[in-house]
Amino acid sequence: MSELATLARPYAQAVFKRAVETDSIEKWSEQLFFISEVMSDHEIKSLVINPKVNIDKTLGLVLDICQDYVDQEARTFIKLLFENKRLSLMPSILSLFESLKSEHGGYIHADVLTAYDLSVEALDNLSNSLALALGKKIHINVILDKSLIGGVLIRAGDIIIDGSIRGQLQQMQKTLQ
Amino acid sequence: MQLNPSEISDLIKKKIENFELSSQAHTEGTVVSVSDGIVRVHGLSDAMQGEMLEFPGNTFGMALNLERDSVGVVILGAYQHISEGDTVKCTGRILEVPVGEALLGRVVDALGNPIDGKGAIETTETSPIEKIAPGVIARQSVDQPVQLGLKSIDAMIPVGRGQRELIIGDRQTGKTAIAIDAIINQKGTGIKCIYVAIGQKRSSIANVVRKLEEHGAMGHTIIVAASASESAAMQFIAPYTGCSMGEFFRDQGEDALIIYDDLTKQAWAYRQVSLLLRRPPGREAYPGDVFYLHSRLLERASRINAAEVERLTNGRVKNKTGSLTALPIIETQGGDVSAFVPTNVISITDGQIFLESNLFNSGIRPAVNAGLSVSRVGGAAQTKIIKKLGGGTRLDLAQYRELAAFAQFASDLDESTRKQIERGQRVTELMKQNQYSPMSVAEMSVSLFAANEGFLDEVEVNKVLAFEAALHLYMKSEYTDLMDRINATGDFSNEIKQEMQVAIETFMKTHSW
Repeated sequence: MSELATLARPYAQAVFKRAVETDSIEKWSEQLFFISEVMSDHEIKSLVINPKVNIDKTLGLVLDICQDYVDQEARTFIKLLFENKRLSLMPSILSLFESLKSEHGGYIHADVLTAYDLSVEALDNLSNSLALALGKKIHINVILDKSLIGGVLIRAGDIIIDGSIRGQLQQMQKTLQ
Repeated sequence: MQLNPSEISDLIKKKIENFELSSQAHTEGTVVSVSDGIVRVHGLSDAMQGEMLEFPGNTFGMALNLERDSVGVVILGAYQHISEGDTVKCTGRILEVPVGEALLGRVVDALGNPIDGKGAIETTETSPIEKIAPGVIARQSVDQPVQLGLKSIDAMIPVGRGQRELIIGDRQTGKTAIAIDAIINQKGTGIKCIYVAIGQKRSSIANVVRKLEEHGAMGHTIIVAASASESAAMQFIAPYTGCSMGEFFRDQGEDALIIYDDLTKQAWAYRQVSLLLRRPPGREAYPGDVFYLHSRLLERASRINAAEVERLTNGRVKNKTGSLTALPIIETQGGDVSAFVPTNVISITDGQIFLESNLFNSGIRPAVNAGLSVSRVGGAAQTKIIKKLGGGTRLDLAQYRELAAFAQFASDLDESTRKQIERGQRVTELMKQNQYSPMSVAEMSVSLFAANEGFLDEVEVNKVLAFEAALHLYMKSEYTDLMDRINATGDFSNEIKQEMQVAIETFMKTHSW
C-alpha cells in the first residue's frame, strides 16, 4: 500500500496540476473516480494483467467503456497509464488526487462515528468546533455505529478523537490492569 | 501477600474513583505489513523518530524509519499476534525505562521489567533511553580510581571514574571474568554497578547472577538482560536501557560502573534490524551509522562536575561530582582487531584491555597482553602507592618480552640479561590471579613492592603465587595497622616503604611457602 502510494504520487500530482491549470478540478475528480471504478472491476482487472490478451485490444475496450464519461485529456491519461503498465494504480491515484484536492481547497474530510443519529444542530456545533480545533473547513461524513454504545468518535486523516463510551471503557480497562 | 476480597474491591473502587475520563486526540495508523519483527505502518504522519508506538495486545514498538508514506517500526517483544490492518497509536513519548535505587539487586529486561520473579519494582521515576551526553561545561576530568581488584590491570592499565575502558579479546579469554571481578570488588565502595548482558545464553546470565549473589555483590548491582532468545530490537536497546539506569546514579552525584557484555552482539542485532528495515548495508553489511550507535552510547559515560550535579538535582545534592564508568566488551574473531566494530570501539574508548588466547592457554590468567593494553586517562586517577610501585612492573614486563626469546639459552647469557629474564618470569607469574578473588590496594602494594625490591628473585618461579598468598596472610595478621592505613589513604611515603621492607624481610626469614 505504501509503495503503491509512492508510485502513484507523480501521476496524481501531474493530473492535479493540469486540473488546476485548466480550472477543472471537479471534472477531473469525477473522471478519475469513473476510471478507478472501471479498473476495480474484477473482469477488467484480470484482462489487464492477462499476458495472452493483446494490449491494444484491452486499451480499446477500456477507452470504449469510458467513451461517454471522459474527455480527450483523460483518454490520453489512460493511454499513458497503459503504456507504463500502471493502470492498477488507479485507486491510489484517485485517493492521492482527492487529498491534494482537499488540501488545495483548505478543507478536511472527517468521519464522525456515532451511536445514535445526531440532530442538525448538534452536527453544526461539532463541525464548528472541529473547524476551530483543526484550523480547516470540515466536510463531515456521519456513520452510524452501535458498537460505540454512546458518544462520538471523530476520524480526520490520521487524527482520532475518541469521545465514545466504548473508548472510555477501554481506557478504564487499561488503568485497572 | 494475603488480600481479602473486600480489600481488592476497595482497591478497584479507588482506582475507578481516581480514573480520569478524557477524550484526547491522538494519531492513528494502520499496519500494512509484518515481517521478522518489523512492521510497516501507514498513516502516523506525526510520529517522531524513536517514538514509542502502541499496538493491540499491550505491545509496544519503536519508530525507526520515518518514510514518506509509511513508518518502519521494530516491535519490542512478541509480534506474532499483530496482523495487517491493526491500528497503531502514537503515544507522544520516546521510549522510557524505570530508573532508581529500587532497581539495585534486580534482574530486568531491556524495557526495565523485572524477570527475576521478585515482584514489581517500586520506583516512580523513568528516564528516556536515548539521551544526549553531558556537554563540555558539565564535565570534569577523571582523577579518582575505580579499583578492579586485579593486580595486572590496576597496576598497568588503571581505570578512572568516568573513563571508558574497552575489554577486548577472542572468545574464551576471560573477558566476562574481568567484568565480574570488577563488580565484586566494588562491594562497600559505594560504586553502583550495572551489568548489561546482550545476546548471551540464559544459562550464562543465570551463572553470573548466582556468582554475584554468592559473593554478596548483587546488593549494589542491576542486571539488564537481553538474552539470545529475545528479539533483535531488545538486544539493540539493552545497552541504552542500562546506560539510563547508570546515568540516574551519576546525576545524583554518585559513582556508577556499567559493563556492556558485549557490544559486538549489539552491533549484530542492530545490523539485523537495519537490514530488515532496508537501510543500505555498508562494510561487513553493517549500516552506515554503526559508529554512531556505539559513540553516542559510550559518550554518555562521563564524570560531571559538582555544579552540574547541583543543577540536575535542583540543589538537593551539593559539592559532589558524579561519574559513570563504562567497561564495554568486544569479542574479536581470531584476534583480528582490525575488523569494523573492534576498530570503531577502540577509537571511541579511552584505552583497552587486550586479552589473548595463547596467554590464556599458557596459564596466564587474566590473559592481559601488557604491551597492547593501554589506559589513556587512568594514570591521572591511579592510587599514589600503586602508581609508584606499578610503574616498575610495566618496565620489567616490557624488557622481559624483548629478551624472552633468549630465555632458553640461559647459560650463555650475561649476568644482567639473565637477571632481567628471571625478574620478568617472576613478575609474569605474579600477575596471575584467581577468579573471584579481587585484591585490596594494600595487598596489591605488598606484592608489587616485593617484586620491585627484588625479594621475588630469591623465590622459585613456580612458588611465586604460594609466596604471595603466604605473604598476604602474614601481613594481614601481623601488620593489620599498616594494611589498613594503605587501604584508607593510598599514599606512599618513606615511612610506609620502610615498614614494608622490614615486614617482608622478617617474613622471608621466619616463614616458608
